[in-house]
This record gives sequence, C-alpha cells and structure tokens, in this order.
Amino acid sequence: MNPSALLYLGITFGLFVIFALIVLRTYKHKNKERGEAPKFSMLDDE
Amino acid sequence: MEKPEYNQAIVRSFVNWSIVWGLVAVLVGVIVSFQMIYPDLNFPPYLTFGRLRPLHTNAGIYGWGVGTIFALFLYIVQRLCKTGLWSNKLASFQLWFFNATIIAAAVTLLLGYTTSKEYHELEWPIDVMVVVLWVAFAINIIMTIIKRKEEQMYISLWYMMAAIVGVAILYLVNAAAVPVSLFKSYSAYAGTNDANVHWWFGHNAVAMALTAPPLAMFYYFLPKSTGVPIYSHRLSIISFWSLIFMYLWTGAHHLLWTPVPDWIQTLAMAFSVMLIAPSWGSVINGYLSMNGQWQQMKENYLVKFLILGITFYGLQTLQGPMQAIRTFSAFIHYTDWIPGHIHMGTLGWVSLIAFAGIYFLVPRIYGREVYSIPLANLHFWLVVVGQLIYSVSLWVAGVMQAGMWNAVNADGSLTYTFMETMVEMYPYWWARAVGGVIYLAGVLVFIYNIWMSVRKGQPATATATATAAAGSAGRA
Amino acid sequence: MWEKRPVLLLILATAAILVGTVVTMVLPFVWVNTEADRIASVTPYTPLQQEGRDLYIREGCNNCHTQTVRPLVTEVLRYGDYSKSGEFVYDRPFLWGSKRTGPDLARLGGKYPDSWHYKHMDSPRSMVPRTNMPDYAWMKTNLLDPEMVRRKMQVLGFPYTEEQIKALVGKNEIDALVAYLQKLGSDIPWRVATQATMVGELKNPFVRDHQAMEEGREIYKKNCASCHGEHLDGDIAPPLNGLTQTDAALFETLYNGLPAGGMPGFASLGASKIWQVVSYLKYHDHEKGQH
Repeated sequence: MNPSALLYLGITFGLFVIFALIVLRTYKHKNKERGEAPKFSMLDDE
Repeated sequence: MEKPEYNQAIVRSFVNWSIVWGLVAVLVGVIVSFQMIYPDLNFPPYLTFGRLRPLHTNAGIYGWGVGTIFALFLYIVQRLCKTGLWSNKLASFQLWFFNATIIAAAVTLLLGYTTSKEYHELEWPIDVMVVVLWVAFAINIIMTIIKRKEEQMYISLWYMMAAIVGVAILYLVNAAAVPVSLFKSYSAYAGTNDANVHWWFGHNAVAMALTAPPLAMFYYFLPKSTGVPIYSHRLSIISFWSLIFMYLWTGAHHLLWTPVPDWIQTLAMAFSVMLIAPSWGSVINGYLSMNGQWQQMKENYLVKFLILGITFYGLQTLQGPMQAIRTFSAFIHYTDWIPGHIHMGTLGWVSLIAFAGIYFLVPRIYGREVYSIPLANLHFWLVVVGQLIYSVSLWVAGVMQAGMWNAVNADGSLTYTFMETMVEMYPYWWARAVGGVIYLAGVLVFIYNIWMSVRKGQPATATATATAAAGSAGRA
Repeated sequence: MWEKRPVLLLILATAAILVGTVVTMVLPFVWVNTEADRIASVTPYTPLQQEGRDLYIREGCNNCHTQTVRPLVTEVLRYGDYSKSGEFVYDRPFLWGSKRTGPDLARLGGKYPDSWHYKHMDSPRSMVPRTNMPDYAWMKTNLLDPEMVRRKMQVLGFPYTEEQIKALVGKNEIDALVAYLQKLGSDIPWRVATQATMVGELKNPFVRDHQAMEEGREIYKKNCASCHGEHLDGDIAPPLNGLTQTDAALFETLYNGLPAGGMPGFASLGASKIWQVVSYLKYHDHEKGQH
C-alpha cells in the first residue's frame, strides 16, 4: 500500500472514530437526563 | 423569576420587512414564469428574464429567507437564553442595513450589475454590505448566547451557530474577486476552479441558509406549538454533527459529468446519499414528537404547517440524493425537473416553517391573536396546492424533456432537434405559472390575515398562559 | 463541555465544516488549471470577445444557456465534442450554468455565420419560430467604451494591442456579443476532428419518392428555411433553387456542413432524413411547387 492510500484510510478511520465517540458520549446512560434536559426547559420561557 | 427584558419591537420589524420581500420574491417569480411562455413580456433593458430571474432568487433567499432567519432567530435566541439581546442598538442597525442591502441588491440586479454566479449574483460593493450585515447579526446572536441565563444550549441554538459560521465562510470565499470598477469585478478563480468553488458555495448556501436555520426554527416552534417536547434531544445532536459535517462534501453533485475531477464528483455523490441519514434524523425526530399528539394536525393549524414542512424536507432530502447519483444526473440535469425540486424545498419546506413561526409570533409581538384561523387554513391549502402543481408539473416536464433529449433513432442519430423538445414544454410551463399564481394567492391571504390581526385581532393574553400550561402538562 | 460553552461549540462546528471544505474545495486547486490541464491552442479573449462575454453576463444569458457538453452519447451528438477543463482557464467567472431552457452554447462558435447571430439577436423568432428567447435588438444602439475594456484587459492580464482597443470605437454591444459567441468552444479543432469521411458509393435511396420529398420539405422548413429562405430563394445563405451538385455531394455537405462558409452540419438528423432533404432540394419542382 502506498502512503497516500494509508493516509486516506487513516483519515477515514479517524473520522469514523470521532463520530463513534460522539454517539457513545451522547447516548451514555448516565448522560441521558442531562442530554434531554434542554428539550424540557425550552418549553417554559414565556 | 424576574421576566427578562425581551426586545419584541425588533422582531416585529424584521417580520414585517421579510414579508414585504417575500411578496416581492413570489410576485417576480410569477412574472418570470409568464415570461417563459410569452417572450413579449420581456421589457428591455431592465425587465428581461435574464435580469429578473436573479432578482427573484435573491429576493427569495436573501429578502424572505434571510429576513425570516433574522426575525425568528432574534426572537428564539432571547427566549432560549432567557435574556434580552446583547445589543438592541446593533439589532436596529441590522434592520435598517438589511433593508438598505436588499434594496441595493434589487436595484443593481435590474441595472445588470451581476457576477453571474447563481445565488451570489451581487457585485462586490453589495457583497461588502452583506458581510457587514452578517457580522452585525452574528455578534448579537453569539454574544446573547454567551450571556445567557440558561445553562445548556437547546438544539436550535446549535443550528443557529453553525449557520452563522457556515454562511460567513461560504460567502467570503466565494465572493473573492478583483474589482474593475464600482460595479464590475472578475472572480478570483478561473474556469473549473471557479465552478468547483462556486458550487461548494451554492450547495452549502442551501445547507447553511435554507436547511440549518429552518431546522432551528422547526425544533423550536414544533414543541412550542404542540406543548410537548421533541422526541429526543440527543438524536437531534447526532443529526446535527452529521449534517454539518457531511454537507460540505457534496457541492460537486451540481457538476457531475463536467470537467471537474472525477474523484470530487464521486465524493459528492457518496456524501449526498449519506446525507439522507442526518436529514431523516430530524424528520423522524419531528414525527416521533407527534406521538399521541396527531389529533393536533386537525386541531392546530400551526402543527399542520410544521409537519407538512418537515415532510417536504424529508421528500426533498430523498429526491436530492437521487439527483446526485451520476446516472440519474446524466438524465435529469439541466431540465425543468431541477426548478421543480428547488421549489419543493423553498416553497414547501423553508416557507411553511417560516409561515408557522410568524403565526406563532403574532400574539407575542403584536399583542393580538391571529385574526382568522379559517383564513390561516385557506393560506395553508393554497400554498401547498400551488407548490404541488408547480413541482409536479415540472417533474413531469423534466422527465419528458430528458427522454426527448436522449432519444436516438435506429441509425444512431437524434430523434428530436432541441426546438422540438423545447416547444413541448409550453403546457407544463403554463401549469407551473398557474401553480405560482395559486401560491401567490396564498401569500396574499397570509398577509391579509396578519394585517387584520394587527388591526382587529383579539388582545392577546390567553396564549402565553395557555402554552405555558400545555408545556408543563407535556412535561408531566 | 460544548453543550454549555458556545465558543467551544462554534470552534468545533467550524472544524466540522472545514474538513469537507478542505478536501473538496481547497485541495482541487493542486490539480485543476495546472500544466496538465493546459491546451496550447486555447487563447485568452480579445478585447471585443471579452466585452461580449461581459454582456452575456450582464444580460444573464447563463440563466437559460449552459456552457458544458458532458461526455454522454446524445449530448456529444447534439452539441459537439465534450468540454475539457483546459478550455476554461481564461473564464472568470465560469459560465457553465445549470439549466437548459435554451440549448447548450459551449460549442456554438463557428456553427453559424455572423449574419445568423445578428438576425437571431435582433428577432429570435424570425429564425426559430417558437422560441421563447427575448429580443435583444436594443443592444445594437449601445456603443462600447474602449477605455473600460482596456481596464478590464489589464485586470484579467490578457494580451491586447492598441489597434484592438482602437478598433472598438463605433462597435456596438451586439458586435461584441457575436464575437464572443463565435469564439465559444472553437479553440480546439473539434469540428475538423469530427468530420465524417464518406466511404463507398453514396446512393440516394429516395430520389423522386413523393413521400420522402414531402418529409424533406418539413425538415427543410424546420432546419434550413431560416437561412436559405422559405422558397429556397436565399436569405443570409445562398439560394438553393437550381442545384447542380450530385446527390452524393449534397448529402456530404448537409452531413458535415461547410465550416468555412458558416453552414452547420446536420449529422445528428441521421442519414435517412438528410436524404429526404436532398430529394426535396433536387427533385421537387420548386417553381411550380410540385414534386
């Protein structure tokens, strides 16, 4: 494999990992309440 | 808790002006649709199709689209941050500078001062005005968010901030030009580079001006209208990151089969198809928010606008990726199918959300209830039917035209000359013009309804308490 | 983290936006418009052509006409050779367009004589009966401003001579527009390259076939009459009554055109239709209007 193909794969994999981390962090069980809190608080702003 | 000092006056002014520019956009749209049927309706030099069509698109995108972004964002940001604007003076400057910019844009476009770049036709002095305007807006929104009283940011604020920074980057890069005189400049890029930079801008202007902002509005106005929270805030966050990441790769799907390098086209095609996921993340989030609330589609006209709006968004984000596939693009690109597609997005998705937002604001900014709900329903049906006639007739036209362009005889020669295919378009262009007139009628009903609300609407006291009560009910 | 910090969120959102931007918008500059793209025969616009191009922009011609031929069979048949990146290196801005209300213009240069364009700009429907293109006769009364053109050429860095600038005096906007249209796509010798060579004996399958002559007449009306006259008595192109060429010679002319004389080729109509026109031209009694 040549260096540019490796770089290509590396970047793609890196981006995928970032995406996976965002999903994991967002959906971590202990983050549930915090992650959903804004949708309730936005309702009482009148 | 002490009630924050909200600036309602500026929101009201932006609503009023964006409606004015929205009317101009639709009216000019109807005029150019008739010019395509009757060339004698061109009145040179100022009122020819070639000059009026950019006026139509600019009034639509920058007058109505950006105008409602200003209006509704300035409202939403105060409410979501539970604080007044960072600077009321800056907001007033923004209002007047906005109108000055739109007027300057309209006048210069009619005078023939144009860069020719679609949706970025404005010449460099007006570009400078747009940049100043956007910076004023950006500072006020961002500073208001920074000084907010609410800890966590609701998803609408995320989309707002992405839109603000996205539009800034896109507009600045694509505006790069060398002036020759006050109203003439040459692009800093040439040929294939210019095309690639431009459609990176063009497609992402759709992302950052006509997708992220209406999503911010949708995520705000749907729960406020139904009184129940959105289905999942976390899903909206995943959709957010995926959407703003993926969109920027897709510009070259406007340039399939052109001299732009193949690998860029392939990336654009792949990312366009992947974009279905985050787009539908928002659509599904909207639908699931309606769980147990679907009766509101009948009872609450605001919900009708919002849910139909997100449905058109869903359809748009399926049709778009389909068009971005090489084989289908080879067939359909450059035909009348394309304006059919665009108008489902602008008339269906963006405008339905903006209409809902404005109706929602009426009691809050004018202090009056909406004058007539039956009229709001009439408005709804006129614009939906008008838009469907518009889009469907042009899709049929596009498929037919593409079929004729590609038809070959047994000996390998072309079956139809170009003109033989063009004259077949006239009936469909008629249908499109009729659709446009119906849409215009809908907009006029809307304006009448808002006008009458201000003049004769019941004083608004009930609404605020009602939504607040519904909100706590939904929470329990 | 970023849920509570707007500045951090702004930075992260910008980063997310920049990844695709760098890959698909910034990186291509490394490959596009480089030496590899360059085509030696492609030249910058002359002052008159550049002025025409700016008028094309001013009037928004790009709203209805594209300027890229895609490498697709029917498209190359209809318009000519597909577009190459190197043909656009002097185009600031690009004018590829996005909608073909009218036909693509990337290969328009040299297709028709200047006189065709003058007549067509004056009154499009006199040449193409049901077109919806607006009239541009009014542009004839506007004269060019040589000083402005000089400045434009300097900004663009295009070579120009004082004679070229002086020659602009007295020229009107349509002169410039036509000069530009005649340059479009003609910097590479694609017309010569795609000329068909006739092999074997060409034999008219119809000759005096009445049906064929009738169809030939219809094809003539749609494609030829605007230049050669409704009754073959000539207009901007020579009269065609009393032709003496052989059927085969006529066929070849119709098929390939006469690039030097400004006659377009009609290969895309197919051999059968061209023979019908040949039969109509040669064997129809044009004076009596009978076959």
